[in-house]
Order: sequence, then C-alpha cells, then structure tokens
Amino acid sequence: MASFQAGNITLEIDEDGFIQEPDKWNDEVAAALAKTEGVETLTEDHWKLVNYLRDYYLQFGVAPMIRKLCKDTGFKLNQIYELFPSGPAKGACKVAGLPKPTGCV
Amino acid sequence: MKKSLKISDFGKNGDRLLTTVKKDDLPPLPPPYDKIEAEKKWVEISDEKKRRTTCNLDGFVALSLPRPKDEGEEKQMVDKFVAGLEKLLTQENNWGFLQPLTLTLEYCAKCQTCSSACPVYEESGKNDLYRPTYRAEIWRRLVNKYIKKGPKWLATLKHGDIDLNWTTISRLYELCYRCTMCRRCAQSCPMGVDNALVTHELRKMFSQELGWAPKELHESGTMKQLQVGSSTGMSQLVVKDNLDFIDEDYSEITGLEVKTPWDKKDADVLLIHNAGEIMAWPENPAAFTILLNAAGVNWTLASEEPSYDGVNYGLFYDDFQLARIALKHAASAKRLGVKKVIMGECGHQHKAMMTISDRILIGDMNIPKESCFPFLEEIVFSGKIKFDPSKNNFPVTLHDPCNITRNLGIVKPQRRILRYLCPQFREMTPHGVDNYCCGGGSGFAIMSGNNFPDWRISVSGRRKFKQILDAFSDHPAPEVKKYVCAPCSNCKGQIRDIFAYYEADKHSGLKYGGLVELIVNAMVDLKEPFIKWEE
Repeated sequence: MASFQAGNITLEIDEDGFIQEPDKWNDEVAAALAKTEGVETLTEDHWKLVNYLRDYYLQFGVAPMIRKLCKDTGFKLNQIYELFPSGPAKGACKVAGLPKPTGCV
Repeated sequence: MKKSLKISDFGKNGDRLLTTVKKDDLPPLPPPYDKIEAEKKWVEISDEKKRRTTCNLDGFVALSLPRPKDEGEEKQMVDKFVAGLEKLLTQENNWGFLQPLTLTLEYCAKCQTCSSACPVYEESGKNDLYRPTYRAEIWRRLVNKYIKKGPKWLATLKHGDIDLNWTTISRLYELCYRCTMCRRCAQSCPMGVDNALVTHELRKMFSQELGWAPKELHESGTMKQLQVGSSTGMSQLVVKDNLDFIDEDYSEITGLEVKTPWDKKDADVLLIHNAGEIMAWPENPAAFTILLNAAGVNWTLASEEPSYDGVNYGLFYDDFQLARIALKHAASAKRLGVKKVIMGECGHQHKAMMTISDRILIGDMNIPKESCFPFLEEIVFSGKIKFDPSKNNFPVTLHDPCNITRNLGIVKPQRRILRYLCPQFREMTPHGVDNYCCGGGSGFAIMSGNNFPDWRISVSGRRKFKQILDAFSDHPAPEVKKYVCAPCSNCKGQIRDIFAYYEADKHSGLKYGGLVELIVNAMVDLKEPFIKWEE
C-alpha cells in the first residue's frame, strides 16, 4: 500500500489516491489531498461541498447520489467540476476523505 | 513486424515483461480521435509500484498481486494452483462446467478462427498474447504435462512444453483479466470449443483455491454486498432514502406522481435493479417506476439485503460467491411471494439469475425469471400507454450487452421497441448475437487500478468506439445530439469512460443511456422531455 504525507500525518492510500483510514482525516489532510487534485486553495465553496460529503458519509457510510449532492448544496454539476476538475466522485469525495466508490457506478 | 510469442516462453524470465503494447501498434481511430489519443499518455507503472507488486505481463496492471515473500510462498501457491487445476477436471468439484471444459481441453484444432473474432486481439494490433487460444493453450499444456497421468517428456513431445513456476501462475492470473468473456470466440468456433470458458474457469480457480481475485469484484464487490446489502455500499436505509429522493425529484421534474413500491407482498413482479443505477444513473430506476405505474403493473422492489442490488460479481470470478448471492436473491423473491422476477438493465445479472441460477435453484426457490426486454416490449405494445415517437426524433443506436444478447439470445424485443419509438434508429455493424463487447465486460468497467483504464479504453473498448462512430457517420457533427442505447450498467460505465477519455460529446455529440429512458421520453403524458442532453 502506498502512503501519503499531510503535515505530521501519514496515511495509507489506494492505487487511485483515496485514503484508506477515514478516521485520520482532518482539514489539513483535505488541503493536502486537494493539491493532488490540482486544487491549490480550498475556498468557501470547496469547503461547503467537502463538509457536506463528510457529514453524509459519517451518517450513512457511503457517498451521496450526485443529484442529491447538487440539490442539497445548491451547486450545479458543472460548478462542481469547476471546483474539483476530476468531478464529484473522483475529486470532491477524495478530498473529503471518502473511500473510492464501489459497485457498478 | 512484431516478434511472435512462444507459449513455451510464458514461464521464463519472470522479472521481465512478456510483451508490450504500444499506441503505434493499435489500428488508428478516425479523426479527430487519432490526434486526441496521440496526445494522451498512458500511465506508467512506477518503479516503487513494481517493487511491491507483480508486473510481468504486458506493462498493464489490473490486479496489483503482491510479490511473494519468499520461495516458500511461491511453492505453496504453485502447489495450490496444481491442486486447483486438477479440481477443475473432476466431477465432484466442478460438475456444472466439467463437460464443456473437457470438450474445450480436447478439441481445439488451433485453426485461429476465434482470434479474428476477438476484438481484444484484433484491436491490440494482433498481439499474440491476446489470442483466445494463447491463454487456453497455456492451460492445455499445463494440464497435459502436470495433471494428466504419464511421463512429462511424452506430454511435452505431444503437446508442447511449458514451465510451471511463480512466473507462470502470476502471469496467467493477470492474463485472465485481459479477456472480457464476451464469448465471441466460442460463437465462432467450428468445433464448439469455448476459450472464454477457460478464462472463467481459471479466474474461479485462482479465487477459490489461491484466494486471488480483483479487489473491485471481491472485497469491495461481493463481500460488501454480503455485509452491507449492496456493492455500492448502500444499506437498506440509504437505498430507501435514495429512492425516496428519486421519487420526489422526478415528481417535480415530470409533474406526475412518481412513487416506487417497496416490499409489496404477492406482487406479480419483483423488479431487481443493479444498485449502481440508483447511485449513478437515477433516471433509469425513475423511468422504470414511471412506466410500470402508468401501465398498471402490480410490481415491487425488495428491501431485504442484498435484493435491492441485482449485482452478482461471483459470475465473473468465483462459483461459491455467485451461489451465496443467488440464494439470497431467490429467498427474497420467495418470501415476498411474487409471481416472477424481472431483471433490470444489467447484463451479468441476467446471466447470473436466468441461466446459472437455474442450475442451482430447485423446487419453490426457482421462481420464474424474465429479462426486462420482453417485459418492456409487452408494456409498450399493450396499448395502455400513449406514445409519440416524434419526441425521440434524434439518431439512436443500440449496443447489445453480451450477456443478454449473445449469451441469452434475447435479440428482437428491444429492437421492436426501438424501431417503433425511435424514428432515427440505426443498427451497428455487426449487431445482435454478433455484437462486439463494450470492452468493459466481466467486471472490467469497474476495475480502475493503476493503468488498467488505459488498456480497457484504448484496447478492449476500441472496437466498440469505432462501431459507435460508424453508426452515426451520417451525422458526425457535435451539434446533432446522438444517443447510444446501452441497456446494461456495466456497459454504460465503460461507454461513459470511453466517451470521457476521447471527449466524444464535445467532438461528436455522443450521449449514452438505457432503454427504458427512451420509452418514457416518448410518453405523451410527459410534458417535458425526460432525456436531458445537457447533463
């Protein structure tokens, strides 16, 4: 397993850079993961998405449907792509410390 | 000219790649895709990665098999492999597949008809590694030399040589994941040999005997489905919440009352979706709900785990895992007392439930199962719903999911629907039972580790992409929006990835989706178009 350094924290990551230990996630980790996604600074809008994803994941153990994400946060899909160029699943979820999506999605 | 690969080299020089695939080897794509491809770089496997995992086949890594710790572990795995090969050929261990496997072992005439039928071999620029016979011949030689009774020198003399060591088994494991099991090879074989079955049998032997299986299919697939209820990670609570959301969302969009029924006792129909549809393509389950309610069907979904997810990845890699899920699906149908189970738009679900389960389930566990295609055909032509085909007046083509069309022979119902409801429907060449795989078959569409996506898009998905472009050659401009009907979750995932990789929407105006969405889009009762092009 490859590892990833964010400040003083070392995390295990999978082949696609998703962290494997969601408990170790914090704001600093999010900022470091964002850099791997080509997002240099996390703005208020970034945090709105990241925090929504984080809260949903902690409550339900899975990522939300993208339509739900859009509706609940008020962002359109293309705005999400502007914020996270790899998109909601591969970009925003990764930064929010969620595992890689599974199943036929 | 490329050097031809010798089968006897397969177990040699284990630290090196056996062969390589280069972009220049591949038959060119039409413009502008030739340029786009040339500009994209395939991901290189890092040296650090190579130190940790086995990378000795073709430069691509789908499986991330850890390197063995020592010689002891190597030997242990080789011994397990030999025991597994033997089990495949015994009645008590492999009763379900023994007969076609034995036939395949003994009757290959090595005529190579199957090679020219295989899109992976052809589109790789004819790399010998991907011939359907190459993998099968390795297996035959191993069986003849190491399993059958008699001296090894005689087997070598009669059938050709092969080494048996860590290199052989690790390469063979990876090579089992370079075939989508579309079974075009089997269809073309004049002798009735099924080389795709060899892929299947080897994959299951690696899983059942050595514990080797792709993480996406086993750990985060079947295991997650057994633990949580769905391979997507949706628990019962989440899936119901998501469906509530879909119902509400589509009630707003359509102005109709969209309400999905759950756990209705004694319903005529239990519909089982691939749960990936709910997560990633909610318009598909929404369209089913709208259509079935409009037709007055007495139907339901099941919320018992794992029966809100029709996925059964065991079909691709492990008979035991397949049986575990199949039994649970059947038990839910029985408890609800439904008259029949309808497969959602998912190819491997069709095959796992409709053909393979038929061999496992007996008595009252074997509830009638039906594909959604003839079921939808009956609804469309029942006269209960008014359609206006002019609402679908855009170019449409159909991708045939291998597991439904070639492997189950379901060809006409979906075409009858499309010819009626889509004025600009056109076939791909070839189609029906002669179709080409999307390139993501047998689980590939969800396998995205390392540089495997480069391979499955550029090599195994190449023929399908060309076929799609050809089908729309009369309207190449991106301004004309075109719809590829791909009624299977796995195929949709693969086609989405191909389109994204080549920016096919931008350059050719290509969109993909399911079958039921087109049906609902043509309903007179819907004021606004159901299919949204801009998303």
